[in-house]
Amino acid sequence: MRYGILLMGAPYSSQASHSALRFAKAVVARGHALEGVFFYHDGVQNAARLAAPPQDEPHLVDAWAELAAEHGVPLQVCIAAALRRGLLDEREAARHGKQGHSVEAPFELTGLGQLVDLGLRCDRLITFAP
Amino acid sequence: MLLHILNRSPATSEVYRQALAAMGPEDRLLLIEDGVQGAMSTLVGHFAEVTGRLYALRDDLEARGLIAHCDTTVAVTDMAGFVTLTEDADRTLSWF
Repeated sequence: MRYGILLMGAPYSSQASHSALRFAKAVVARGHALEGVFFYHDGVQNAARLAAPPQDEPHLVDAWAELAAEHGVPLQVCIAAALRRGLLDEREAARHGKQGHSVEAPFELTGLGQLVDLGLRCDRLITFAP
Repeated sequence: MLLHILNRSPATSEVYRQALAAMGPEDRLLLIEDGVQGAMSTLVGHFAEVTGRLYALRDDLEARGLIAHCDTTVAVTDMAGFVTLTEDADRTLSWF
């Protein structure tokens, strides 16, 4: 089956990101295709490339990136939710005259249409919210 | 058949009432995160109308030290079982 995940919780604020990540790994382990994870509302904080949690705690940002690297899962971040929270990739930083950037691959800034597309393409879309 | 996913405890949130009101006769309810408090014998009465269709996530019960307090009428499932529940359902609906 084709699965999609919608994540609306920020890492370390609620359990949503932990739950979504564990579910994502279980979906892949079951042999399903995880077609994408869409980060929306405060969930865009999962894409903060400068996140530096204590070393003895799970690094959720890196864990999502590893999931993408190992299984080719697209990590799509709502651009409108991201920009207003200071999450910009190099292109958006340049466009808005900001120094530095806070989002990098494999996370990609995309529009809400990608969430609609994910919902239409997947057999199951599971929401994890704070 | 829909799978409803609830992450709020009935002791601290009323959203479980909306979930129950929205449930069809065949629908199932999975308790995750703080929602697993509802699987305790002292709180499971809130979910009496879905007895036999009530599930709780083992990881979250264990993380909270509640596994021994889980009511025997609740089906305890692991993450793989969570995925299976989503396979069996036509769609899922998250309540939060």
